[in-house]
Amino acid sequence: MAAAADPALSELDHAGIARSLSQIADHRRDLADAFFERLEVIELPPEDQHGGIRVRRESGVAVRLVRRERTWLATRDGISRETFSGAVRRVARALPRTAYPEPLFPEETWTEAPEAPEVLEFPAALTRALRAHHVKLSYRLTVRRHRRWVRVIGTQLASGVERESFYSFEAETPWGRGGGLLTELGERAAESLAGNLVHAWRAREAAPPEPRQSTVVLAPAATAVLLHEAVAHALETDTLELGGHPEAAIGVELGAACLDVFDDPATAPEGVRRKADDEGHPVVRRCLLRGGKVEQPLADGVWARRSEMLRAGAGRRAHRHLPPAPRSTHLELMGGKAAREELMAAAEGGLFLPEAERGRLDPRTGELELRFAYGFRIRNQAPGVPVGPATLRGHVSDVLKAVAGVAGDAACAGAGWCAKGGLKLPVWATAPDVLLAAVRIEP
Amino acid sequence: MTTPVGERLAEVLERLAGRWDAAEVFHKTGRSRSVRYAGGASCSAFHQEEGWAARAGDGRRSFFYAATGAPRPDAPWPDADGRGLRLPPARLVPEWTPPLDLDASLLGENEAQAFFEGLDRELARELPGARLARGELDDGSSEAHLASSREVAARVRRRAATLYLEAVGPVRGGRAVTLRAVEREARRFQPLALARRLADRLAIGERGTAPARDRGEFLLAPPVVVSLLDALSPLWIGPGAVERIGQLVDRRGRVGSPALTLVDDGRLPGGVLSAPVDGEGQPTREVVLVQEGLFRQPLLAWWQATPSTGRASGCAARPGWRDLPSPGPTHFYLRPDPALRAAALVEGLSRGYYLLDVEGAPRLEEAPRRFALPVCGFAIDGGRPTGSVSGAWLVGTVTAFLNGILTAARDLTFLPSRSGLVGAPTLLVKGLELRRRRDRSRD
Repeated sequence: MAAAADPALSELDHAGIARSLSQIADHRRDLADAFFERLEVIELPPEDQHGGIRVRRESGVAVRLVRRERTWLATRDGISRETFSGAVRRVARALPRTAYPEPLFPEETWTEAPEAPEVLEFPAALTRALRAHHVKLSYRLTVRRHRRWVRVIGTQLASGVERESFYSFEAETPWGRGGGLLTELGERAAESLAGNLVHAWRAREAAPPEPRQSTVVLAPAATAVLLHEAVAHALETDTLELGGHPEAAIGVELGAACLDVFDDPATAPEGVRRKADDEGHPVVRRCLLRGGKVEQPLADGVWARRSEMLRAGAGRRAHRHLPPAPRSTHLELMGGKAAREELMAAAEGGLFLPEAERGRLDPRTGELELRFAYGFRIRNQAPGVPVGPATLRGHVSDVLKAVAGVAGDAACAGAGWCAKGGLKLPVWATAPDVLLAAVRIEP
Repeated sequence: MTTPVGERLAEVLERLAGRWDAAEVFHKTGRSRSVRYAGGASCSAFHQEEGWAARAGDGRRSFFYAATGAPRPDAPWPDADGRGLRLPPARLVPEWTPPLDLDASLLGENEAQAFFEGLDRELARELPGARLARGELDDGSSEAHLASSREVAARVRRRAATLYLEAVGPVRGGRAVTLRAVEREARRFQPLALARRLADRLAIGERGTAPARDRGEFLLAPPVVVSLLDALSPLWIGPGAVERIGQLVDRRGRVGSPALTLVDDGRLPGGVLSAPVDGEGQPTREVVLVQEGLFRQPLLAWWQATPSTGRASGCAARPGWRDLPSPGPTHFYLRPDPALRAAALVEGLSRGYYLLDVEGAPRLEEAPRRFALPVCGFAIDGGRPTGSVSGAWLVGTVTAFLNGILTAARDLTFLPSRSGLVGAPTLLVKGLELRRRRDRSRD
């Protein structure tokens, strides 16, 4: 489902806004831009919670000035001449030499009634899907629809209105909690969530695996989290900076030769597909790893200004109150030639891990940790008996070099919410099954 | 002409109350300065926020609508759904004197920059080669108004500053240490004291080792106790607390040692979050949850309080206009002994460990209630430190911790937590164990 057009952002006076910004960008290499944002979240809380449906609607502007190593940001709620001009004045380092007339802004109020029937219908769809499994489970379900419109206007470029629309859910059960992102909400999504809940329920009392080196097959949803933590976070310029110059990573052999990984916001699932990033730069199909070697780290506009080897286009903002940071949007792992059965055959006696609960990369030490609520012991090339909670741990490079096979069929999955550095962002991936040979598994 | 907030709230309330049995309108404005520092680069931001929220419904259905800007009587309300809404009646609020520093000016941009540069300099002086890798300072003030169809009318002003620091030592690739602090005003943060704490932590992290396994007496500094109390705080909230705590009560009816008194106080004198009323306009008060080891009552919102569960605590937290009120601690702390210095406890420790800080998040097992907390500090012999400890788990059962508290010092320190502030003094504790962490055994 695509978000509808938003007149409050599509009818902005971009020439007038750019002129106003040019007054504060009074040094030669200054960057000045304005980020306009409108968003809506409709939430259906769990049945036992106080109160009914919840709606949140926001709009606001952030004006930014970047001068050498320093950034000034001023944010105001609401989109109007007053809020924009107030933010510009806050960011200005000196009184402008010439004062241009203030830009005009269209009337900005939400008039449409908030409606999301698909959100209200989802709990019943999940109940039906669980019934088909002949299982009655106790759970608390929260479902949300997220819609967001953003537009960036700067002194040098102006993007069109970028729209995002997706869903998130959280399911809490007596034996654990999990969540995820979806681009569509309906019978298929309910069926998929029901399947995961049933697997987790069946594994609730299963013993965790013994701590040892193990061969592992990750399903697409788990691969998505591995890619996000081990490839995307490792190759963000703000992570690479901790070890020195981000450009120095280019050409480094980070993973196995079978790994070709891209970040391409333009091929993300419909509803979250982007033409421009949150700094207004056109997005690029960025090859992060080619044959396991680093080709192009994730950079935002500020980093790209510092080095000719880095390309802008991966600047993302969780919301207007925080400056952009280099982050991935939609990761793609190019499919290999193997079938899932072949990977399973190579991992006989190892673990099949369908989905990761969470992941973490220590940016300073490179230690990677992926947590799985449950998994299965592989027997006869298929998932066998369930195993309890497991953690995959290791140095990021060791884990990526342990990739011994990539399946051919990729599936699109929400990698989940990324929360690095306090920026909560939805991230997506298209990935197949992967085989990891000899990685450290702990309970 | 801007309509005064009270009139705006009344207009919205009148519109909603005409249609619904229960209605409430909340409005909040705030301004804050936040400075992000990362070596030479910095980002200085100024935020001006305004938002409001309305709840309305009857016994069977309700909605929550929140938006940026000023309250609008003509807002496009969502359809209420099948969950009812109850609101509390107005109650007499005891006299309240607002803190004097609510009107102090926000920290200036140059002041914040100088604070970080000074801290970085002091850190390098304390531990040559160490540096501040990242700093985040937020200083803000807010004013909230609340009105409901049940005659609740409240106004709350707040002032708070939070600090996050991340420092690295002279050894390349070493782990970073982090520190969080909170004050009402940013100017109260002491760069020299903070630099010393960071330097101590870095030195311990680089030189420290951990015993494979050891028991003895432990001196737990405030950050260690706060981490445990924060992890255990859900135990004491809501009507279900009586059953949860019941599992921890021993044969004598005690939940902890006589040195254990746990309090939550929404109007703590000098407290950063102190206010006359909570997020639903109910009067705040001091609530003793555990008194000298005996369980008294849980934290209860007005709608959870019954003659059998206990009196309402005035503990509905409402961090902002986006949030619904939910019961939670405000200033949750372990009562200190005003006569006892922490230094005297160190001098009196014949053999044991003085654990200064945590090196990560605690792990808590539901049944049996056991915890594991990654800690660092010193080994103590004859009241003197004999070596640094790092890479260790402090492990034990929740019961052993609560019953093993021998004495509390007077150095009550509050730290930001998942919800509200959690405070603790230095504690002398027995019955716990120190174990080497597996991730360090490979070092």
